[in-house]
Amino acid sequence: MSLQEFWDYLVLGVMLGSLYAVIAIGYTLVYGVLQLINFAHSEVFMLGAYGSLIVLQLVSPGDNPSALASIGFVALAMAGSALFGGVTAYGLEKVAYRPLRRRGAPRLIFLITAIGASFFLYNLAGKLFGRDPLPLPEMYDNHTVFSLFGAGVNITQMLQFATAVVMMVALDMLVTRTKLGKGIRAVAQDAEVAGLMGVDIDKVISRTFIIGGVLGGVAGFLFANLNQVSYTMGFIPGITAFAAAVVGGIGNIRGAMFGGILIGIVETMTVPLLGDEWRSVSAMVVLILVLMFRPMGILGERVGRAA
Amino acid sequence: MLNKTIVKLAIPLAVGALALTGCGSDSGSGDGAVKIAFQGPLSGDNVALGENMQNGVKLAIDQANAKGDLDFKIEYVAGDDQGLPDKATATAQKIIDDPGVVAVVGPAFSGPTNTSSPLYAESGLVTVSPSATNPLLTDKENGFTSFLRGVPNDNMQGAGMATYYAKKLQAKKVYLVDDKTDYGVGLATVAEKGLKDAGIEVVKKSVPQKTPDYSATAKDVVNSKADALIYAGYYQDAAPFAKKLKDAGYKGAAISGDGTNDMKFVELAGDASENWFLTCPCTDATVEAGTKKFAEDYQKEFGRAPGTYSAEAYDIANMIIAEVKKAGADVEREALRDALAKASYKGLTKTFSFGENGEFKGTDVYLYQVKGGKIGYQGNINELAG
Repeated sequence: MSLQEFWDYLVLGVMLGSLYAVIAIGYTLVYGVLQLINFAHSEVFMLGAYGSLIVLQLVSPGDNPSALASIGFVALAMAGSALFGGVTAYGLEKVAYRPLRRRGAPRLIFLITAIGASFFLYNLAGKLFGRDPLPLPEMYDNHTVFSLFGAGVNITQMLQFATAVVMMVALDMLVTRTKLGKGIRAVAQDAEVAGLMGVDIDKVISRTFIIGGVLGGVAGFLFANLNQVSYTMGFIPGITAFAAAVVGGIGNIRGAMFGGILIGIVETMTVPLLGDEWRSVSAMVVLILVLMFRPMGILGERVGRAA
Repeated sequence: MLNKTIVKLAIPLAVGALALTGCGSDSGSGDGAVKIAFQGPLSGDNVALGENMQNGVKLAIDQANAKGDLDFKIEYVAGDDQGLPDKATATAQKIIDDPGVVAVVGPAFSGPTNTSSPLYAESGLVTVSPSATNPLLTDKENGFTSFLRGVPNDNMQGAGMATYYAKKLQAKKVYLVDDKTDYGVGLATVAEKGLKDAGIEVVKKSVPQKTPDYSATAKDVVNSKADALIYAGYYQDAAPFAKKLKDAGYKGAAISGDGTNDMKFVELAGDASENWFLTCPCTDATVEAGTKKFAEDYQKEFGRAPGTYSAEAYDIANMIIAEVKKAGADVEREALRDALAKASYKGLTKTFSFGENGEFKGTDVYLYQVKGGKIGYQGNINELAG
């Protein structure tokens, strides 16, 4: 691999990784406050993509919209995906997890429910929206904008990366600086004591789900903008992002960002070195290595302490 | 106490069992209807390819029933295998268990054909595939005695691609990608051999289906400095790959096979599909003179133009109907299988007859190219290559 190729793939890897990171945050947030692996998060991601598709079909951008209109379409699509993602995650918490929490169900039941909810949602989406993949309408004319270390970056990639960074920074600030963030951290550290101190646990938990859902939904839109929308699109990115969350240290928000980007880079670098067949293998090798030497993940601590 | 519990349990069980056996004796032939099944993806990722063929089969059956010269009625049975090898056995079993079914059009994809053919062989139920093109399916050692292929296999398609690149485009270096399915690997292997024989340098890579991001692969294509590309796989993955190739600035030629030859590919990939070559052992029903009438009927019935293999599936269904007509409605499965294996039928698209192990007799492969958002028919690939 020449130096230029190295930069090319590194840039691509960071782009992909930033998306994984945004999805991984959804897993980590929920795990942080509930100690629950929300396997239905990949469906939140998938439904977010459908949300943006529905909005775009309503406003139907024609061929080659003007620059200003393009920005509008992208913003609308993003809002649609955020809404779908947020509502789905909120509904999941309300319907699938809250009743279990009320009854003090064991951890395992939560996990099975999460898997069940995931199956339910993706088959429902297949039924509702059809099982054929659908393209997102083109919102802008995609061309190379600038080059980074000689690697060309086009509008789609710029949008993907910039959105991911903005969302991650905003989330980080929300968790460290706001009252809600304080609540999230408090519940993550010790839900019982937080409750005794006057934190409304239910409210904090459902808002945490909504935040994770919004992020996941927008990531769904960004992914669909790269490829296409289909009811099965959630599974592979979902599992990869989950692995990324574990690599970074599940429950730790900055860890999820770091893990996501790391996995993105590893996957992308694998393609020229070993071939596409190996990309998931190498991502999982990273996961195994991390678990062997640092079982809590690279930045592994709970949300309550680290963020 | 215990006895009471047993009785309580036993009554519904007994009633249930009776009800079940009742159902069993009711169903089955009854009014002497002959059933023709179709097996292929009617849901799942590549549903468009399955629906194209299903509609062809349905149209043939409807027309045969409407004609009124049959002393029996033909019914259609749908078998949805989602195009997945592991789903195909259950689908096949369901079709086999329906005693009214005398023949199957399909399975549509090579992977499902591979896993379900042993079941069909055992039951003697004939399957005539309009589209399963993996060369190994007709290998004698498989023992797929009920499998007939109504399409030239990938040896022809892969060789056609190689010839076209070598002679017409005079490619120097070809980047060859398969999608790790039975179909993709089979096609890629043949194309690779053809290219190497023609003295063309080949970079062969595998990219499994459902890869979430093709941008790294697209970059690899550009970095390899290949001047041509072959994608051996289905449209769902070909479309995002085409998009990423465009983003990465790939300027060379690109060609894919019949798994991509569907308008869905153009819809999903948008501008990025422009100028892609697509091969297919199928003719374009809307262009060829022999199938114009069929294309009109199809458009009227389903509200869209026939797609890849629609006309071939229609022909095969008609071939089956013709044989059943000769043998009568009470034809045995094995007898129909043997009759079909020996038959020769001139359909709208081509003449269907089968050689050893049910292999299709004939070699024609056609070339298409995406132009202005449409899949344009170019003609016979060997004639075009010159």
